[in-house]
Amino acid sequence: MADVLLAAAGIILVTVALGLVPIVRGASATDNILAVQLFGTGGVAVLLLLGAVSGAEAIVDVALTLALLSAFVSVAFVKSYPAASSDVTRSSAMYECRA
Amino acid sequence: MTFVNLLLAVLLLALAAWTTLARNMFAAVVGFIAYGALLALAWVQLSGIDIALTEAAIGSGLTGLLLLNAASRLHVNANAGGNTGRSRLRVPAALLSAAVSGALMLCVFALPETPPTLAPDVAANLASTEVRNPITAVLLAFRAMDTLLEAIVLLFALIGVWSLSSDPHWGGRPGLRQYSEPNGILAYTARVLPPIGIVVGAYIFWTGADYPGGKFQGATLLAAMWLLVLMAGLADAPPIRRTWLRVALVAGPLAFIAVGFLGLQTAGAFLAYPEGFVKPLIIAIELALLPSLTLVLGLLLLGAPLRGEEP
Repeated sequence: MADVLLAAAGIILVTVALGLVPIVRGASATDNILAVQLFGTGGVAVLLLLGAVSGAEAIVDVALTLALLSAFVSVAFVKSYPAASSDVTRSSAMYECRA
Repeated sequence: MTFVNLLLAVLLLALAAWTTLARNMFAAVVGFIAYGALLALAWVQLSGIDIALTEAAIGSGLTGLLLLNAASRLHVNANAGGNTGRSRLRVPAALLSAAVSGALMLCVFALPETPPTLAPDVAANLASTEVRNPITAVLLAFRAMDTLLEAIVLLFALIGVWSLSSDPHWGGRPGLRQYSEPNGILAYTARVLPPIGIVVGAYIFWTGADYPGGKFQGATLLAAMWLLVLMAGLADAPPIRRTWLRVALVAGPLAFIAVGFLGLQTAGAFLAYPEGFVKPLIIAIELALLPSLTLVLGLLLLGAPLRGEEP
C-alpha cells in the first residue's frame, strides 16, 4: 500500500514539474498565476500522500496551512500583477476581479 | 521514497534556477513562492514538520506577498524610469550564492558521525516543561528569552516600516483602499475562506503545545485571513495612530516581560517558571502573543501609511 501511495506522490510531482515547462519558456501573467496555484494544490496532494505513508498526522496540518496560503497568494497575485489586467481585456473568459 | 526525494531535489534546483533567471520580477516571485511550497515538502521528508509549517506559512506565503508588493512598487517606478532589464550584478550574485551554498555543503559533509547536539538533553528534561512538543519546550521554556527578543524585534521592524511614510500621511492608514465587485468571486472568497482560516489558525496555535504548530504559524494564518478581507475591500486598514492598535501591538511582549519578572520573584530567575505552573504560564504567554503577532505580521505586509486617517 505504501508503494502505491509513494508512486502516486511521484506521479503528482512529475505532473507539477511538467506544468513548469511552459512557464520556463516564457508565459503570460495568467499562466504564472496558475502555476502558483498548481504548485500549491500539487504540494497539498503530495503532503497528504506522504502523511498517509509515514503515518505522521501532523503532516495534514502542513497541508491545511499550504492550502489556505496558496488560496491567499493567488488572490494577492491577481490583485497586484500589472500585466494581468491586460490579459483580462484580451481574453473574455477571465473573470474580472478588480472593480 | 528515494524516488520522491530525488524528484523533489531536482524540482527544487530547477525552480531555484528559474527564480534566478526569470525575465521579469513577477515571474521570479512566482518561482519563489512555488519554491517555498516544495521546500515545505522537503522539510516534511526530513521530519522537520514544525519547520515545514513555518516554511509553508511564512517562507512561502507571507514572504511571497512581501516580494509581490515590492515587485509591483518597483515595477511602477521602473516603468517611470525605463530600466527593467537584467542588471550586471546578476552573474556575480549567482556565483556568490553558489559559493556560499558550496561552503555550507562542505561543512555539512565535514560534520562528525554524531554531530554535537543538545537534543538528548531536551528530551531528558521535556517532562518538566509539561508540554510534549520539544520545539515548543525549547522556544517557550528553555530559550524563552530568544522568543521574547524575537517578538520585540518584530515590533522594531514594524516601526522601521512605518518610518518610511511621508510626513502628511504619518499616522494614517497603510496601503491603498481596495475595492472589489460586491457580488464577485473575490468578495465571496473573502467572506467564505476567513472563518475556515481562523478556525485552522486557532487550531494550529492550540495544538502547538503537544504537536507541531504554535503561535507563530497560527498568527500567520490569522494575519493572512485578515489581509484577504482587506484585499477584497470588505474592511479597511486601521490608521496606525489609533490607541487600541498600539496597545494591542505591545500587549503581547509586555505580558511576556511581566511573566519574566514574575519568574524572578517566584522561581529565582527571569523567565523561570515556578513548579506546577509551567503549562498555564506558557499558555498565558502564547495567548497574549497571538493577537500581537497577528497584528504585527499583517501590518508589516500592509506597509507604510499611504493615506490619511479618513476612510
